[in-house]
Amino acid sequence: MSVEIDTRPIWVILLLKASRPAFYLAVVLIFWGLIAMPTPEGLSIGGQRAIAIFAVCLILWVSNIVPLAITSLFAIVLVPVLGVLPKKETYALFGNEAVFFILGAFILAGAVMHSGISNRVALNIMKRFGGSPRTLVISIFLLSAFLSFFMSEHAVAAMLFPIVLEIAKGLGLKPGKSNYGKLLFFALAWGCVIGGVATFLGGARVPLAVGMLKETTGDSIGFLEYSVAVFPLVVILLAAGYLILTKFFPIDIEGVGSARAVLERRIKGLGKFSINEYATGTVLLFTIIGWIAFGEGLGLATVALSSVVVLFVFRLVKWKDIEEYVNWGIILMYGGAIVLGAALDKSGAASWLVKSSVGDWAGSPWMAFALFSFLSILLTAAMSNAAVIAVLLPVSLGLASKLSMDPVVLTYAIAVPAGLDFMFPMGTPAIAIAASSNYINVKESAKGGFIMFVTAWAVFNLVAAWWWPLLGMGYSR
Amino acid sequence: MKKKNYLHNPATLKIDLMLRGTRIDDPVVKAWACGSSGVDIMLPEKTLVNIPCSEEFTRNSPYLIKKKGSGYLITDGASEVEVSLVERPAFYNRRTASGVPLSSIAVVHGSYTVITPSQRCDFFNRSIECKYCAGNFNVTGRDGVVYSVEEVLEAVEAVLKEKASEIIYFSIGFSDSDDGGIEFLKPYILAVKKNFNCLVAVEALPPKKNRWIDETYALGADSVLYNLEIFDKELFEIICPGRATLIGHKRYLEALEHAAKVFPSGTVASHLIVGLEPPGSTCMGIDYLTGIGVVPILPIYRPSANRALRIEPLDTEIILPVYKHLYKSIKKNRINVNWVRDISMVTTPVELKAIVNGPRQRSIVDGFYKSRLGKKTAWGLATLRRKLRVIDREDDSE
Ligand code: SF4
Repeated sequence: MSVEIDTRPIWVILLLKASRPAFYLAVVLIFWGLIAMPTPEGLSIGGQRAIAIFAVCLILWVSNIVPLAITSLFAIVLVPVLGVLPKKETYALFGNEAVFFILGAFILAGAVMHSGISNRVALNIMKRFGGSPRTLVISIFLLSAFLSFFMSEHAVAAMLFPIVLEIAKGLGLKPGKSNYGKLLFFALAWGCVIGGVATFLGGARVPLAVGMLKETTGDSIGFLEYSVAVFPLVVILLAAGYLILTKFFPIDIEGVGSARAVLERRIKGLGKFSINEYATGTVLLFTIIGWIAFGEGLGLATVALSSVVVLFVFRLVKWKDIEEYVNWGIILMYGGAIVLGAALDKSGAASWLVKSSVGDWAGSPWMAFALFSFLSILLTAAMSNAAVIAVLLPVSLGLASKLSMDPVVLTYAIAVPAGLDFMFPMGTPAIAIAASSNYINVKESAKGGFIMFVTAWAVFNLVAAWWWPLLGMGYSR
Repeated sequence: MKKKNYLHNPATLKIDLMLRGTRIDDPVVKAWACGSSGVDIMLPEKTLVNIPCSEEFTRNSPYLIKKKGSGYLITDGASEVEVSLVERPAFYNRRTASGVPLSSIAVVHGSYTVITPSQRCDFFNRSIECKYCAGNFNVTGRDGVVYSVEEVLEAVEAVLKEKASEIIYFSIGFSDSDDGGIEFLKPYILAVKKNFNCLVAVEALPPKKNRWIDETYALGADSVLYNLEIFDKELFEIICPGRATLIGHKRYLEALEHAAKVFPSGTVASHLIVGLEPPGSTCMGIDYLTGIGVVPILPIYRPSANRALRIEPLDTEIILPVYKHLYKSIKKNRINVNWVRDISMVTTPVELKAIVNGPRQRSIVDGFYKSRLGKKTAWGLATLRRKLRVIDREDDSE
């Protein structure tokens, strides 16, 4: 049990507690108000109800007053109950490929972590390249990014955190005071954030967005296609991130001898390379090749789940070993978000919403792209990045047809910035983990993160304007 | 100097009786007291006292308990006052299903029933036990008895069924752990809270980290006691060598201060034993403790044959001002006095009112606290307060 005692005056606590039921009551009233009001012109009854469900979910997702997954389940319940979609169709949407891809990715990441290969690779890279204070920071930064290409950035941060903490302690860096200490933990957090947007595997946000895109428009984005599109963004952000960090926190130590001792001790503790590590590494390698080569034809989920089956057939992992890595909450949340997205689209609510809200501001495709990418990167600073996609994507897809825009491009406009929170721990577990070291605080994170926030948004828009046309992608269809 | 007569004021009489003890010439009362450290007597105005009667010093007591008609009286030779013998709880004659006498698990002290699930104190294994303890408590080192949760539950059920008291008071000796023994008491507290609607007090040693104090409250303890016993630092080190070396005077005060912020007003208490340090030093302790919101409880040291630690001279005239000071300090610091009440072994702040203001009339508030409704209300409010104040961090997952 981990408890905390609220020692504020009892009337303050009572007031705050009372605000919860009041909040729920307000949500119910808003919901009822939206359902009961006369249906606006151009909107069907189903669309009106879909908007009411969307509004409730939006409030609950943003406020996080109930777990995200439970809000999603609520959406799944309300959609058929209010007759927006038939129940058979609603539950079938949960069987979306994206949901199973995420499940497969969680299991694969769990197997990789459990085998110890990721830990070994991390330690060896740090030892090989971390000979000086500068190269040690760079190796942690790039390593965090690199590993986040293949597994959830959250898992990478959790895996590397104890190593970086031990290095910081081994070097005698004072929490909250040492520049180099701050540098190490920011390198870890920002590396994970930047690396997390490079592939489908980073934060599992992109599969959700692609799943919603597919349900709504039938279009899709390939594994390699996505990574190629965001590649320059990742490279530029890594360079910018390093420059900003070293500008904010100039290196204040001479050598890293004791850090090397820590790394050597840890590597020794791992023992020799086991068959399990080799085999799991090989399965992961083939899975990535499979995603690139057959992702389009077979489907990403099929490739991921095939690899999972291989892992279990060869007894490389047991169910209980990977159970803790499978985040069922996220899987439920994604399923619900896809249902809600489809409900908004099929009922015509999404396009109606766009017409009557952002439609007038986002006059041109370029403007729409800039606006949605800005909203996405802004909201992700305050809320879970999966929730940002669930909220913004259905609306933006509605706009695509109005402006004759390519919905794929708008999917990028939401999915990529949704992963780029450099400022606050609330939206990004990697930053929360780094901040728990006490070497960095939220204020410093917000300061440096704000510059990265502006840089990331600007670079992303520039990449869309200059790089994507070279790949044959454009704002318009 | 003429000897003062305390018989007219039950509150001062209680103090004098606890200090001097009594002689007994009635076989029924003798039988009552057999095997106990004292005899429970109800003085006028429902003032409950446990009077020492078996220790050496009681032989010279001016007081004598005598039978008078169908009742009893206490006399000092010159005057007398009518009293009644508190009935021994019926459950004292019963055993648990496993054969343990309930009287060895639960001991009723008025509104409190003390249960010591483990009669071990690790200080004994290191020969650093508190100097006054060996003679007074049934506590030993490694081979002390440990009662199971089931046995304790049987005892608690018997206490509550018989309405022998309303507060279950768990106490534990020293164990070398960070939590001050709360992890050990946890299953007992949880089981009692799960099965009965009663208040629970915990007497333990201060844990190393404050989070254990939070946990003690969250588990269901309604009151906590970290007994400093002696405020004077040097005497503390001499008389309580284990507490001084392995916990420290400073940690006691820190833990009490934190507990007073977590628990409701008047439910965090600490004993300061009267008679083991000069009265001035006890008064300083009272000022300090009440200043941080803690109720000082002042038991009177009962010297045993082989442990004569008492400072001399010690008589009621010397210690009465200490008790008056306690009452005034509690009032000054607006600490709730209704929690620590009706205890046979110590004079409680509510009783002290009669020393300061003269023999008391029972107030409506007093009556309410003692009524069934009052007890239910106290339990309900304590439960509600806990619900509001405790935040379970493990619940805060996405
Ligand atoms: S802590 Fe002291 S008083 Fe308590 S049981 Fe141990 S030795 Fe006795």
